[in-house]
Amino acid sequence: MSQPLSNPFNASETSIRQLIANGKTKPALESAKEVHKMHGTRASEELLIDAYTARIQALNEQNLKLEAKSLLDLVRSRFPSAQARIEALTSPARGLEILVAPLADPDLPAERRAAIEQRLEREGGDLAELAGCAALPADHPLRQAAAALLKAFVAVTTGPVGEDELALPEVSRRSPLAPWKLLVRAIGHFYRKEDSRARECLDAIPAGSAPARLIPSLRAMLGDPLSAPLAPAAARLVSLTTGDSLPLRHALEKLDHALESDADDKQVLQAAKAAVRECGLHAPYRLERLKQHISVRCAMADIDQDRVIATIGGLRQEAYFYRLFARGMELTHDPEDLTMACGLWEEFRQQAVKEGWFSFNGAEAATLYLHIASILGRLPDGLLDELHQSIRAKKRQAGELPYFLFPQMLYERACTLDPHFEAFAQWMEWAKGQKGGEAAQVAETWHAIRPDDIDPILYLMGDASDRNLFPTALKYLARAERIDGVHPAVRRARLQLLAGSAVKYIQQKKPHLAEERLAEMAGLPQSQQGDRPAFLAALRYLASTLRGDVQTTAAHRAETERLLGTKVGAALLIFGVATAAKRGAFESLEPPGKLDKSERAALPAAVARVVALAADMNAMKLQIPWSYIAETARQLPRNSQSLDTSQLQYLAQAGVCSTHAELGYAATAAGLERGGPTGARFLLLRAKLLPEGHEDRRAVCAAAAAELGRQQRDMQLLEEAVELTRGRFGPQALTLTLEQAAEVLRKEKAAKRLPKYPGQGPSYRNLLPRMCPCPTCRAQRGELVEDPYDEFEDDEFEDGFDVEGLDELEFEDMVDEFPLPPGVPAEFARVLFEETKKGALRGESLDDLQARLFGFLMGGGKGRKGRRK
Amino acid sequence: MDAREVLGIPLNAGEEEIRAAYVQKVKEHPPDRSPEQFEKIRDAYETLRDPRRRMRDMLLSADPEASLTSLVLGEANQRRFTGPQPWLDVLKKGGGPLP
Repeated sequence: MSQPLSNPFNASETSIRQLIANGKTKPALESAKEVHKMHGTRASEELLIDAYTARIQALNEQNLKLEAKSLLDLVRSRFPSAQARIEALTSPARGLEILVAPLADPDLPAERRAAIEQRLEREGGDLAELAGCAALPADHPLRQAAAALLKAFVAVTTGPVGEDELALPEVSRRSPLAPWKLLVRAIGHFYRKEDSRARECLDAIPAGSAPARLIPSLRAMLGDPLSAPLAPAAARLVSLTTGDSLPLRHALEKLDHALESDADDKQVLQAAKAAVRECGLHAPYRLERLKQHISVRCAMADIDQDRVIATIGGLRQEAYFYRLFARGMELTHDPEDLTMACGLWEEFRQQAVKEGWFSFNGAEAATLYLHIASILGRLPDGLLDELHQSIRAKKRQAGELPYFLFPQMLYERACTLDPHFEAFAQWMEWAKGQKGGEAAQVAETWHAIRPDDIDPILYLMGDASDRNLFPTALKYLARAERIDGVHPAVRRARLQLLAGSAVKYIQQKKPHLAEERLAEMAGLPQSQQGDRPAFLAALRYLASTLRGDVQTTAAHRAETERLLGTKVGAALLIFGVATAAKRGAFESLEPPGKLDKSERAALPAAVARVVALAADMNAMKLQIPWSYIAETARQLPRNSQSLDTSQLQYLAQAGVCSTHAELGYAATAAGLERGGPTGARFLLLRAKLLPEGHEDRRAVCAAAAAELGRQQRDMQLLEEAVELTRGRFGPQALTLTLEQAAEVLRKEKAAKRLPKYPGQGPSYRNLLPRMCPCPTCRAQRGELVEDPYDEFEDDEFEDGFDVEGLDELEFEDMVDEFPLPPGVPAEFARVLFEETKKGALRGESLDDLQARLFGFLMGGGKGRKGRRK
Repeated sequence: MDAREVLGIPLNAGEEEIRAAYVQKVKEHPPDRSPEQFEKIRDAYETLRDPRRRMRDMLLSADPEASLTSLVLGEANQRRFTGPQPWLDVLKKGGGPLP
């Protein structure tokens, strides 16, 4: 088709068309004018008209409409015969043809191709035109891609499509039509409710591309916030697709805002009424859901339900509603609401069964019962008992009791419907907190229904052991060994139970039976580990003492002393075991003051070993005389270097158990001094043994221990520590950052002396949450709140007393004017005022204030009964 | 994302319905072609196939504090097919400012 370039016209034409294709329409037009002037042929006129057309299009694209129109008029007047052609050339379809025509040339320079493709991506808004574009061959990839996209576009907007139809392999990722592929997929995902995938596609569409014009509409359909109002066509599309309408959106947003901003009831109800009206008009299929949500949101905001229901024009109380309502009441964390949630879950259960959500006797119903029971477990201590008393006081028959407020009944129902491990484990966990052998009964039931579960057997074994029923405990142990012989608790239990049994026989003066048990113990490989042989020797000593065999008795005592390497240690161990066997008379310890210096120095190590043995032999309750504990506390600071951290932990634990704070504190001081990962454990022990008046410090130490335990993945430590922090500052446990925990550790390490009075020791004010003293907040923290003024005459505080509002000068004046009793120094009064002010700000009662300030001097005497906070 | 939403089933769907939805979704998103989506589908199915987990999911997934605007106009909204014309109108006339 192309003519030889030797022809000057041909050469000029090629050059001009190249300029047009490159978008340089102005020089192209200038050249075309020159060529036409020179040649004056039909061909040169056609070339000139093409150049004019390209120029007119370029001006249009630059939004120079007036210039374009003037030029068009000029061409029409100069070339009237070519008018039809000019109209055709300036039509959009022809524009597209002109734009893409160079792409048919396989030798088109890459730069030029990229420029055209960029324009196509930006301006190619009509797939049908591109698919039928005559300027490209029918099998051109661009036409094929456009045809495939058009087909897919029609399909996704017309009805459901499968994943295959969204694959579009005809459109490569580098194609200028790739944004269309993303758009088609976004629409497809939108209709399939795969919203996150739809958003991913929208995010990937280039902002300047032609398909990006649909992004705001699709975002609106997905419920995403928009930065500006939609254009009319887009708003129409959204409305047609989703039923969204601006009045409805505004009404809903207003209602959301009213609820979130705690607007007064009237405003909320007005907004609710408007939202319901708009929803009925524009999205009636969502009206019932909206009403249900409004009702629950209003209930959570304490708005009268009757008024709400009247305002929204009735409400369908179906399973969905009860589920939402129950969950809403759960989330308020208010005890009354929690109780209400249990009743609502029961309503949900009944309604859901009616509506066919699940059967009344399946695993789903059982799971619901467990969930209700867990809610009851969140009620404050004592409240459930009060509730039960109040229900029973109404003399209801057992069948009439609202079972959903009785954990026992809930667990029974759950385990009957779906007797699985977790259900019984939850029941067991609850029962352990109950009195009267409830846990043993649950374990019996569990064991009867699921005989292969080891947990109830271990519990029953431990329970029997606690009650000194060792033959029974050993029977349970045999069952447990058959199920899981390598379970750590099972492996430890035999030695402990045999030891407990031997002690009991010694108590019953049956030395032969005790010796049988001791022989069994000796046969166990684990009895040879650590200090256990010394423990065995101590028991043998007691058995032979019972028998009256002097020689053997002396030998066993010598063996105990040899194994422990200390006389005082052996004496303490024998004393402890003898006391446990109620044979204290067999061993009399001399007062620690009579021990020689080296024996006294060895006391901390000896006590640590005996305490460790007591912990090891779980069945034992070994005692150490108080005088020895006190002496150990005295010796510890001087002799702590010879102890390892594990022994220090045992001593701290002994301090906690014996409430001997000096011993515990000295042990934690030595333990913290060692540094390393055991610091968290020592912090927790210190938290446990800090005396009254140091509750804040206790909570901070426990919170620091929890954070350090979390870092060390020590779940047991974490659990214990969190439990200790809970309740002090509201329902949530106090938490610290790792840096704060490290700071606490550093301060506690430096605090080597047990505090003697409140306020002594490190200050953690900066780590404590600010606790609001108002009655509402105090009640939310579970504190007893009564009218603080009910003991005073009304006129006593007629003018009010704002301690927080006092400035320094006022405060000084008040202290100076206060009539002090004779002999009381002014500085004392100042401290007293300061502390009273702090107490008042914290919401502290007079009793608490008195106990805090004078408790350590006055022996912590309690105020008269009935004194109100 | 909510397991029921992933499988496209209602709250009260039973085991058979859940299974059928799972099979359908796996057909649409086979693991070799869309592994991430397949994983989501499998996780959702694992949650819902077990009646206990299904129930726990049902109990805890209720969101009483959900925005009412998104409840009515957002994700849970009805989606009607309109045909291509209204979409093409937006492409021709413009859809408003880009977000």
